[in-house]
Amino acid sequence: MMRRRILTVAGIAIFGCLTLMQAQRSYMPFHDDDDSPAPLPYDANEKTEWAFARLIYPSGRFYGTRGYATIDSPKADRQFSLGVRRLTRIHTRSKEEYISLDGDEVFKWPWLYAVETGHWTLTDDNCKKLREYLLRGGFLMTDDFHGTDEWEVFLSGMSRIFPDRAIVEIENSDAIFHVLYDLDERVQVPGLVNYPFHKTFEKDGVVPHWRAIYDDRGRIMVAMCFNQDNGDAWEWADSPRYPEKYASQAFRMGINYIIYSMTH
Amino acid sequence: MFEFFFKYPATVFSKGQFVLLSAWPAWVLGLAIIAIAVGLGWNIRQRRGFLTGTRPVAIWLLETLLAALLLFLLWHPAISIATLRPQQNIVSVLIDDSRSMSLKEDGKTRLEQATSGLNGGVLDGLRKRFQVRLYRFGKDAERIDKTDKLTGAAPASRLGDSITAALADSSTLPLGAIVLLSDGADNSGGIDRNTIAQIRQRQIPIHTIGFGKEKVDRDVEISEVTLPARTLADARLAAEVTFRNFGYAGQKAKISVRDAGKVLATQEVTLKGEGSPQTEQVQFNAGIAGAKSYQFLIEPLAGESNTANNAVTRLVNVEGAKPRILYIEGEPRWEFKFIRRAVEDDRSLRLSTMLRTTQNKIYYQGFEDKKETEEGFPAKPEELFKFAGLVIGDVEANYFTPTQQELIREFANRRGGGVLFLGGRETLSDGGYQRSPLNELLPVKLLDRKDTFHRDPAKFELSPQGRDNIICRFDEHADRNVERWKKMPVLADFQEVGDAKPGAVVLAELNASGKRKSPYRPYARDVLGAVIALAGERLAGPRDGVDAENRARRRDQSSTSRRGAGQKLQTAV
Repeated sequence: MMRRRILTVAGIAIFGCLTLMQAQRSYMPFHDDDDSPAPLPYDANEKTEWAFARLIYPSGRFYGTRGYATIDSPKADRQFSLGVRRLTRIHTRSKEEYISLDGDEVFKWPWLYAVETGHWTLTDDNCKKLREYLLRGGFLMTDDFHGTDEWEVFLSGMSRIFPDRAIVEIENSDAIFHVLYDLDERVQVPGLVNYPFHKTFEKDGVVPHWRAIYDDRGRIMVAMCFNQDNGDAWEWADSPRYPEKYASQAFRMGINYIIYSMTH
Repeated sequence: MFEFFFKYPATVFSKGQFVLLSAWPAWVLGLAIIAIAVGLGWNIRQRRGFLTGTRPVAIWLLETLLAALLLFLLWHPAISIATLRPQQNIVSVLIDDSRSMSLKEDGKTRLEQATSGLNGGVLDGLRKRFQVRLYRFGKDAERIDKTDKLTGAAPASRLGDSITAALADSSTLPLGAIVLLSDGADNSGGIDRNTIAQIRQRQIPIHTIGFGKEKVDRDVEISEVTLPARTLADARLAAEVTFRNFGYAGQKAKISVRDAGKVLATQEVTLKGEGSPQTEQVQFNAGIAGAKSYQFLIEPLAGESNTANNAVTRLVNVEGAKPRILYIEGEPRWEFKFIRRAVEDDRSLRLSTMLRTTQNKIYYQGFEDKKETEEGFPAKPEELFKFAGLVIGDVEANYFTPTQQELIREFANRRGGGVLFLGGRETLSDGGYQRSPLNELLPVKLLDRKDTFHRDPAKFELSPQGRDNIICRFDEHADRNVERWKKMPVLADFQEVGDAKPGAVVLAELNASGKRKSPYRPYARDVLGAVIALAGERLAGPRDGVDAENRARRRDQSSTSRRGAGQKLQTAV
């Protein structure tokens, strides 16, 4: 009897919590539709010079629903591609491309974006493939990972890709901050979870970092946007509730990274 | 017999001129003969008596001939012959002092045979009648007083130059004849037409005395090596080596190129027809800057009678200056990055790039002087002509002002700069070049329509001309080079163009499914500039730039695509 009562109370408590969580979510002024299939652009299959290539890597499940690699996609990818098309002369495809590390497909996409890399669980083959890709001239932008714990997870993967190369802070004078837009003054780009953006950091990732791994000729191979969430900024740039200054910087940063990867 | 009867040999008479020494003119002789013939005829007619038929005519003819002969002799016929006057004419004796004269035949060197012949009475005989001037010659003719000054060590024998020098040395003297003693092994390009005309103009007879066998039994000889007198450090050089063989037709031989003893390249060749000149191209890397003396050597074959003629050296000035190339690109493209990387690895070039990142912004790289980046694409000759090569990427013709278009044309025609067109979705036919002055520069005819650029895979094939052209060489060995081309990744995009213009050389052709074969890499070198159009081009692959790099490297541990880019730019310079 006692046992049944405890189970009933616990069940009500759990239900209440879930209801509360859902209720809180509904109060957010955003519709988290990034995992909803967006309408396919009419020119989705156009053959272009550049397309948003999103790296699909092994990871756990985000809220038990899907892998971390596709967070914010496809809306962030397509909205950012719109920006690249509008603001530069890069011949840009409207639809993103998901790139796995299985096979050699990755070598056809010299610019890669990886989100939530604080959750990746790369295999040895993945590490080997990424290393080869980067040494041959590929470029990897990582984004949306925060705090000490996620950095450690990221590092555990990256140190297997490049055990012999240091991760360093990118100097302000580096071409990557000037190739198109001058980005000497940078702010922390917050994710959606920070709404209403009284604070812009997540976990203990208070200070944003722009870090990189360079090749032997001083060219950036891996650019890490640590303690920032440019993906959310791209995704919600169309919302009046997402601050313009963060969205602008995210677009400029992403475009600079692309043009850098096409020029260095 | 002829000489017994006529005192002089028949050749003298053939060269002489017939004259009548009588003071009376020759027409009087003719008139007298006619008069006598008429008189004799009249006489026989009056007094023929019993003579009938042809007999009086025969008698008249015989009498007339006898009378004509007597009259002819009265006119004093003679043969006039020009002959040298003893001790008043000079005879120049030129003796080949080159290394080939040191070859031994029948126990004596050719030079020893020549000197023993001269000292055995020929010179004394000449000196009795003429003033004799002795010369030895190799590269130049040099006056000597005795034959013991001959060494047989001169590196070359320039017959034409030496005869011309001997003629010039006696230009104010009564030079009667030249006696030339040589084995005829002229390894300095022979006697040109001008020299022969010059010698003929002087009307001096040249008497030649040859040494050595007319035909060598077993020998390989390099007769000529042609290569540029100047080049850039680390550039690839293509030398045309001309040689001939006797007795080795069908056999293999190895040509090597050496610099200070270090072997730069070797190439195995199959020796062709006996005695006929054979030319092969040998490619090698020029190496670091400096004055280089490259030795071209055919390694001695078994049983070769003369190995001294197997090697030739050529001087080349390898310049240390790094010429600048201007590359203008109309939009960010992956090959832009890989071209830049290729040139970074090239010690002989400097690349300055202008990239239109947005409609109103140009990203400059490789410009040390900030002033050069203030006004965009050069609009004055002094700004553009400081570059040695120009690469035009995906840029529409109208991006350049009429002045700039004319300047680019002048850059190739007047400055002698190289221009490389890369193709793209907004250039060539799609960029309106067919209606611009720049069309004149292109080695291909452009199609008069748009949508000529396709992001579809295409395979290229080397043409026969491309097979031998240095632009298309990734490997010293022609066959291996062809194999490497066959293994190259497919192009991920290409541009359709029309036929090659007259005078243009098609180095490779594109073969895209559903499209006609299109010239790829047509190449034209006019008087000054070199112009190359890449009708479908991905130096490192298109959106799969990394992939192309990858496949090239994985295949042979070197980046073929990158090397190709650098090579093209070197050619443009």
